[in-house]
Amino acid sequence: MTISTQLSADEQELTIAIQGRFDFGAHQAFRDAYERVESTPKRYLVDLQGTTYLDSSALGMLLLLRDHAGGDHAQVRLLNCNSDVRKILAISNFEQLFQIA
Amino acid sequence: MADDQGSDMHVDNHVLNALREVMEDEFALLLDTFLSDSDERLRLLRQAQAQGDAQAMRMAAHSFKGSCSNMGAVLLAGLCKQLEDLARREQLDDVAALLGHIEREFAIVRILFKSERQRYR
Amino acid sequence: MSTARLTILIAEDSAADRMLLSTIVSRQGHRVLAASNGLEALALFQQERPQLVLMDAMMPVMDGFEAARRIKECAGEALVPIIFLTSLTEGEALVRCLEAGGDDFLAKPYNRIILEAKIKAMDRLRRLQSTVLQQRDLIAKHNEHLLTEQRVAKAVFDKVAHSGCLSAANIRYMQSPYALFNGDLLLAAFKPSGGMHVFLGDFTGHGLPAAIGAMPLAEVFYGMTAKGYSMAEILPEMNSKLKRILPVGVFCCATMLNLSFQRRVVEVWCGGLPDGYLYRAASGERVALVSRHLPLGVRDAASFDSHCEVYPLVLGDRLLLLSDGLLETCNEQGQAFAEERLLAVFAANRQADRLFAEIQQSLSDFSAEAQDDVSMVEVVLVDEAALNRPPLDYSAHGLISPNDWSASFEFRAQTLRHFNPLPFLLQLLLEVQALRSQAGALYSVLAELYSNALEHGVLGLDSALKRDAAGFARYYSERSQRLAVLEQGYVRFHLQLQPEPAGGRLLLRVEDSGGGFDPQALLGQTLAPGRLSGRGLELVRRLAERCSYSADGRGICVEFCWSSQAAGDDRFGG
Repeated sequence: MTISTQLSADEQELTIAIQGRFDFGAHQAFRDAYERVESTPKRYLVDLQGTTYLDSSALGMLLLLRDHAGGDHAQVRLLNCNSDVRKILAISNFEQLFQIA
Repeated sequence: MADDQGSDMHVDNHVLNALREVMEDEFALLLDTFLSDSDERLRLLRQAQAQGDAQAMRMAAHSFKGSCSNMGAVLLAGLCKQLEDLARREQLDDVAALLGHIEREFAIVRILFKSERQRYR
Repeated sequence: MSTARLTILIAEDSAADRMLLSTIVSRQGHRVLAASNGLEALALFQQERPQLVLMDAMMPVMDGFEAARRIKECAGEALVPIIFLTSLTEGEALVRCLEAGGDDFLAKPYNRIILEAKIKAMDRLRRLQSTVLQQRDLIAKHNEHLLTEQRVAKAVFDKVAHSGCLSAANIRYMQSPYALFNGDLLLAAFKPSGGMHVFLGDFTGHGLPAAIGAMPLAEVFYGMTAKGYSMAEILPEMNSKLKRILPVGVFCCATMLNLSFQRRVVEVWCGGLPDGYLYRAASGERVALVSRHLPLGVRDAASFDSHCEVYPLVLGDRLLLLSDGLLETCNEQGQAFAEERLLAVFAANRQADRLFAEIQQSLSDFSAEAQDDVSMVEVVLVDEAALNRPPLDYSAHGLISPNDWSASFEFRAQTLRHFNPLPFLLQLLLEVQALRSQAGALYSVLAELYSNALEHGVLGLDSALKRDAAGFARYYSERSQRLAVLEQGYVRFHLQLQPEPAGGRLLLRVEDSGGGFDPQALLGQTLAPGRLSGRGLELVRRLAERCSYSADGRGICVEFCWSSQAAGDDRFGG
């Protein structure tokens, strides 16, 4: 599991990409990805293209990110979800909290 | 501390000096203890020869050898080793001469130790 | 860099050598014990327990090898280094030393520098071993402590979890005994009116952290169900509680059911669990109960949605709920059980009653290993008489109870939109001790009258809609919509308690602001099969002592009575 981050040029948008299994083992690395950024981006993109597996602790981590990004005012998008990931997000009704693409 | 070159040496003075340093006031006691111990060992060796007991002879010779080497009686230690080897090979017939040699050597060592004792009362 | 003062045992049969060695060792700062043979050495060891042993190999009585073996045995787990004193040079003899447990050798003549170094090295090893053993014991103790704590936690939870009715005749379930420590929670309880609430939950995480949230949740579930609260009230309370106590990122996926035996109806709320199923016995039709909400503990109170879906039922219809543990069960090849297999079991099923067992069979065929993570429950609509329902338990508090009073309440539009007055009214009536044994009947009647007044009177809904499944859904949808925009209207309750020579009587009148109905016409009607609404009033007539209608049809009056003798007159019909 690897996590990579990219901050946009204007420092308004942070993209976090997750490769491999997104489960409890990713906990610390995921937090570091958004906590250790110098600036305060307005928008967050979570790129799940390379994510092979997502479980309830990953959902929990997304909630933590949303909380960090402003809770109800947060702008967090989940990108490039494959069908398995989509299914899990659908059962939990996470489209009520996140924009899913 | 055995001196290889001194396999002819009756008593190694370096060893004695080291012993004196370690034992301090008890140096004389150590020498006395060795001498009376060795008397007993010689007696056991004689007994083993008389009874033709190779095992007993071997063990006594081995033990004597160790003691002698600790005290710096180099030549004597070497003779004991020879006796030990003979006893291990169970060649007791050849033992008589060697045993005599050991006794004579021990007599020399005894004199040397006693004079040593006199000097450092 | 000196070694600490040790107690060292010297076993040497040559007196001079023994004296020399003892002096060397005590000059190095240690306490010396001296033995002249193996037996003496062993005895001294047992008595004094020295930290290190210098052992001559050849000794009379008991030689060094045997003494070494025995000393090692005596020392047990602790390391007591043994340095053999030997002028043995043959390899075989040295091997014997090692086999007897020797840790090192010292040759004659004794070299005190080398001896000092060896003693130091051996002592370091000894202390290392001692530390390892201490830490091992500490870890074992802490581990035992944690296990005990978990056992206690589980015992506490078991008491709460088993105050429910999971053993009712219409419920079948499958749950690992350690389900709680997998985050799975299964609860069921009878409502005072006779129906039941069922809850299946799956907390994120495992072990004690997952189990912590289960306790307050269960308390809310049982407490509020017993008081007669509806799902629409219980769910927000559960959600708020979890939102408050659980950290962000921890939540509970859940499905809750409200099953009403009299009304032949089930309300369903799903948030985050995989599809449950409503299985219609007669037609074999399967209706998926899909998750429409976020799990509990995510939304704040203001944005929580307790909207439920409502389905009509007939006898034999069953609801099947499962946690994702079932679908994720893997076989030896690493394949998951998955939805396809479950649907295949459904398709192959011919007898509704065998469905649960068939799923279990399919699961154990798929993977022989114990199913630790699987939670599954089946709830069937049965005839209420078939359930051996235990009597309601209302603890008697206070011997003085109010027996001669009246009270009136008017709940108006804004209140009707958000507030359920029934638990409040019931609690009030239960202050009358003599009424407690009839609590079930009271609640059922109150609920029926209130629902009648609200839905038909105030909201103007027509029961005729409820004649089929599609109409049913439309009816409840209409109900929510009309209630949400209600501006005018009221429901009134008049309660009058009067003592009588041999007991007492409760007169209860419910009125509404609606158009009224023709009571004569209604009374004359026989119960048409499939007419779901008439059943309610039939129940009221059965449960109450007397039932009458006010002339204009906008009110119904019922009476309950009791005699002073029959305190245990348990007339609830459920």
